[in-house]
Amino acid sequence: MFPLREPYDVAQPPVSAAPVKLGRAIVVTSGKGGVGKTTTTANLGTALAKRGVSVALVDADVGLRNLDILLGLESRIRYHLLDVLEEKVELDDALVRDKHTPNLYLLAAAQSREKEEVDTESMRDLIEELRERFEYVLIDCPAGIEMGFKNAVVGAQEAIVVCTPEVSAVRDVDRVVGLLGNAFAPKLIINRVRPHLVHKGKMLSVEDVNSILRLPLLGVIADEPDVIVSTNKGEPLALRSDSQAAAAYHAIAARVAGEDVPAPMVEYKETFMDKLGSLLGGRR
Amino acid sequence: MKARKIVLTSGKGGVGKTTATVNIGAALAKRGHRVILVDTDIGLRNLDLVLGLEKRIVFDLVEVIEGRCQVRQALIKDKRFESLAILPAAQTRNKDAITEDQMAGLIDELATMADYVLIDCPAGIEGGFRNAIAGADEAIVVTTPEVSAIRDADRVIGKLAEKNIPMRLIVNRIRPEMVRTGDMLSIDDVCEILSIELLGIIPDDEEIIDTTNRGEPLVLGEGYRLRSIYEKIVRRLEGDLIPFTNLDAPGFFGRLIGALKAG
Repeated sequence: MFPLREPYDVAQPPVSAAPVKLGRAIVVTSGKGGVGKTTTTANLGTALAKRGVSVALVDADVGLRNLDILLGLESRIRYHLLDVLEEKVELDDALVRDKHTPNLYLLAAAQSREKEEVDTESMRDLIEELRERFEYVLIDCPAGIEMGFKNAVVGAQEAIVVCTPEVSAVRDVDRVVGLLGNAFAPKLIINRVRPHLVHKGKMLSVEDVNSILRLPLLGVIADEPDVIVSTNKGEPLALRSDSQAAAAYHAIAARVAGEDVPAPMVEYKETFMDKLGSLLGGRR
Repeated sequence: MKARKIVLTSGKGGVGKTTATVNIGAALAKRGHRVILVDTDIGLRNLDLVLGLEKRIVFDLVEVIEGRCQVRQALIKDKRFESLAILPAAQTRNKDAITEDQMAGLIDELATMADYVLIDCPAGIEGGFRNAIAGADEAIVVTTPEVSAIRDADRVIGKLAEKNIPMRLIVNRIRPEMVRTGDMLSIDDVCEILSIELLGIIPDDEEIIDTTNRGEPLVLGEGYRLRSIYEKIVRRLEGDLIPFTNLDAPGFFGRLIGALKAG
């Protein structure tokens, strides 16, 4: 299953005749765009790989790839998903080793191709091939519910749905859960929660969101400006030890791996300015 | 006179297309124009929610195209404005239920009934995107100052350029304090990369979350900070020359630090 061939390593391990235990293929999806699918994929993948398991990340957003940017790997992409699906190159040639985390690999999407060019059956076979070699295959699904969604879902057995506390995102997630049907056992991550807004009643709470969706909750992630910085820098937050979101991603990774740890939540902490505001009876 | 047909698009999802469509539409209606907002996100409609009209939907865009109802029956007039109407997307259909030609025909028909037709495009560059731009003769590209959003916007700009659709840019969710500390790309950075004409700069403001969830566009409310920003965007859209607010300008401490560094 692992390790992968080194770039200049000619000798290959003998192919075992024994049936291999397949890894878990999990699609990260949401319906709505911009809720944090790619950020979740990059951070959950990093957190899982840091636990010592082998992880492949697949960017299924053909034409609008971004997972490579979040991992800081954009200048190392030589071949992409469609090159592999069309058998122009071997899978090994297209997998890019992560620069931060051992055991983590990226299969980038094609940037100048269209989603309709992906053959659904080949995609299913490719995910199966990855499952033979990696313990986890995380598939970053594009926004929407068109062909890109279908191809991202086809090889997966499980789904993680990412939602933000907005009515539009909740509605889209609900639709996606409906489309996934009874398979995939979807689990929920609620992203971009701003506890002070929830406290003031200006944002849906975790309970509000899940009273509609009614899904097993993997965890809740706070909205942090650090996420934007880490996206622009190409360093997933999960690499850091000083971030609340990073701790949450590690807890979620443990839960995905089957450990009995509590789902990370975000707590409202009254700040000095909040106290001052309520003392003065202002609008804060 | 026929209406201006403007598509709002972005490539990346969640950058604020629907919010911008609703607020620009409402601001235009406030200026006395007849405005029709078209939700082309078939299967994942949201424009109705952002305007608080979700309970009043009877017919949708696909039913109009399939000839099962008249356009006028499907249009929902906003309670607050007689001159603002939406054409909702179908929720339980797929984006391939309609063709580009059908969409272009529908937008042309709507254009005879309004001064502005604003088309809210779905995320991505698949069939839904191609349908949404099919009937438009202008585009507003919405992006945020993140590398991923800019890369997607660049891809969409290329596709619009292929179709010779003139376009202008809105940079949404700017956080001036992060630009100052170098943690966020500045407007100049974004414009340099995308090199299309700038239409508006919208700061990141929490008031947008609440107003969106309540279905009340903030341009219709009182005392919202972003209201004047949208009003300026609309005046630029109508050809007025309005200077941009310089959000990148350093505050007192920024200038102090700059002066110390310069010294």
